[in-house]
Amino acid sequence: MAGSAAPAPSRGRSRVVVTGMGTVNALTSGGRGAVVEALAAERSGIGPLRAFAPEPGGSGLAAEVDDGRLAALIDGAEARRLSRICRLAVAACRLAVEDAAIAPGAELGLVVGSEHGDFRSSEEFAGGYLRRGPAGLSPMIFPNTVMNTMASVAAIAVGARAASVTINQATVVGDLAVARGAALVANGSARAVVAGGVDEICEIVYRHLCRLGALSPMGGRAPEGCRPYAADHNGPVLGEGATFLVLEALDAARARGASIVAEIADMAWGSVPAAPHAGGARTLDRGSPVRRLLSARARPFARCYGAANGDPGVDDWERALLAQDLGKGAATPTSLAPRFGQHGGLGALRVAAAALDAAHGGAPVLVHGIARGGCRTALIVGESSAA
Amino acid sequence: MTSDPSSRVVVSGLGVVSPYGLGVKSLWTGLSAGACAIRPVTAIAIEGLRSRVAAEVPAEALDALGVSRRRSRADRLALAAAREALADAGLDERDRRGAACVVGAVGGGMYEVEEWYWEEARSGRPAPGQGSLRSVLPRAHADAIAFRFGLCGPRETLVMACASGAAAVALGADLIRDGVVDTALVGGVDALTRICFMGFNALKLLDPDPCRPFDRERRGMSIGEAAAFLVLEDADRCRARGGRAHAWLAGAGMTTDAHHVTAPHPEGEGMVRAMSQALASAGMAPGEIDYVNAHGTGTPQNDRIEALALARVFGEGGVLVSSSKSLVGHTMAAAGSVEAVVTILALEHGLVPPTANLTDVDPAVPFDCVPVVARPTDLDAALSNSFGFGGQNVSLIFRRATD
Repeated sequence: MAGSAAPAPSRGRSRVVVTGMGTVNALTSGGRGAVVEALAAERSGIGPLRAFAPEPGGSGLAAEVDDGRLAALIDGAEARRLSRICRLAVAACRLAVEDAAIAPGAELGLVVGSEHGDFRSSEEFAGGYLRRGPAGLSPMIFPNTVMNTMASVAAIAVGARAASVTINQATVVGDLAVARGAALVANGSARAVVAGGVDEICEIVYRHLCRLGALSPMGGRAPEGCRPYAADHNGPVLGEGATFLVLEALDAARARGASIVAEIADMAWGSVPAAPHAGGARTLDRGSPVRRLLSARARPFARCYGAANGDPGVDDWERALLAQDLGKGAATPTSLAPRFGQHGGLGALRVAAAALDAAHGGAPVLVHGIARGGCRTALIVGESSAA
Repeated sequence: MTSDPSSRVVVSGLGVVSPYGLGVKSLWTGLSAGACAIRPVTAIAIEGLRSRVAAEVPAEALDALGVSRRRSRADRLALAAAREALADAGLDERDRRGAACVVGAVGGGMYEVEEWYWEEARSGRPAPGQGSLRSVLPRAHADAIAFRFGLCGPRETLVMACASGAAAVALGADLIRDGVVDTALVGGVDALTRICFMGFNALKLLDPDPCRPFDRERRGMSIGEAAAFLVLEDADRCRARGGRAHAWLAGAGMTTDAHHVTAPHPEGEGMVRAMSQALASAGMAPGEIDYVNAHGTGTPQNDRIEALALARVFGEGGVLVSSSKSLVGHTMAAAGSVEAVVTILALEHGLVPPTANLTDVDPAVPFDCVPVVARPTDLDAALSNSFGFGGQNVSLIFRRATD
């Protein structure tokens, strides 16, 4: 086959639409209908932690995925091979692909975002050595310690053979994964991309975030809870789950008669210069692509979904950034964190919510995010009729 | 620097911390001499494990990084390499402000966290060092670099196993080609960690001796640590500000096997697609590639399948091939960016770095693998392969810059 070459990927810019959704979260699991159901539900998935006993006096809330619901989505043999976070990713990717009714192949890509990856497997792997020495090292567990294993098993599950990308970022990783996925479709690197995020409640991560004062109540006396933008906000509550969207080139979606939900009209991501782990309302955006995107807009947004999760630094910062770029009259963004808890899939849920809102028509919807350390994201989601 | 219609992206800055020490110059001195930097491990405890060698950044180089010792080992490597790349490109504060920062990483600050975790597990009591958890995740490096150097463009941390560093180059170039930014600092970093060393031991993928890629008697890879960064720039912008191009980034290909978590596709199907995609995006035919810097880990399976894939793309013996991992080890998330730098240096110097420890070439590898001694050769274009767990395949093509 010397001399052969694949067709050159087009560098022309394609319009990008959402044609599928899949989610496994603390409230529901399923395709587009399950996302609608979860967003419409009045209740929150946050409740007392069930996976392990919390430390007295520390945090004790979480938005957990019921193991029975997850077991119903992954058969027994597959479940034995996959770590829990891999099961979440595989299940949600499959649901999204089924919802989109899209075929596998070399033009289907994958972007997986995760805040923490598979620390459960890392601890299990290291624990084997600490208990039994070299004989305790499991070659089956080791691959799970690398954060791209969720993408690896999900790519196999849905037959995604174009680029598969794993992104690590705090708070906004789900939004970032969708934005990166949309860019891969827009620039012709893939005809369609399954993009979203995943995280699980893991004891070692939960306990140490708690000890570091990163979870509600952050060592304070106010009641524990997720209260974004509220005067008494005192930290995020962790959640878990996976949410993925199928993003597709408009022409390809139309050609196969796909059901188009909405269009990702534009997206940007950038950095606000803040120290790692730090961030606050006094640090404003000096000129990232997000600022350029938002500052250039003349029309208001119908709604804004924000990344606020009850972390006072992030909440106040997001409001200040949006006031800077959209004007002081900008409405308070909507946060989904009180429903689903903070996890890697939350940003993708925000984009899914925006897409469903936009499907009803009207002005575009903004999905905005800012993370400690300064990673900032924005996606503008437009109505499907525009597509 | 003449215009190349096949690409808009040039490489205008290089920075490395490698097992040879601090800086691009020390890397090239070691590579061109064919000096194997794989030695007995000193940085981590490895009792009872099959392999006891690795390519570590020398202690004296760590002391000379000029980065606060309060940072993680990996952050220190990354910050020093990024600083060299930005200085090499001659970017001032204003130039840097709009730049993207795309970093490939896997281990994050795990080196320090393991110290703390091991001590707490051993003693059964809370141990000092819990604060190291703040920098344990791979994203810590990009956060530190973007803040330290004032980069306000897109920031991404890519965790794509051994292809991470190469993926950072490919996706950083996309940001330029897509018109999002005109400058991107891209690269990868990984420090040696116990979990990585133990994991590859558990998979029986480590050679007890320094690795011998493409050799009939090869028995596995050798782990290394490094950081390597490149400044990518829009060619017009680089020219306008009087920048110097080391090379063109002519093309890139990224594919997934979707076959197995740790094993490559037996026919190298994804590897072939990545190389073909890179050639197509560069608008080049296989015959225009003069040299391939192979993934070349030294594991029996990788080298055999990579050779098969190379033969499918270039024809048997159709191109010079060598493996830098025989010299600096497999530097994990950094490998793809280290080898991108090696490939560019080979183009600049007209010298192919050798495959060290190669004495008896495997008949299943039908290529001239430049054994032991570097070879002077006129080079115009070269391809660098990076393949990772999860069937992640990235191929990058660089062309020599001409003034």
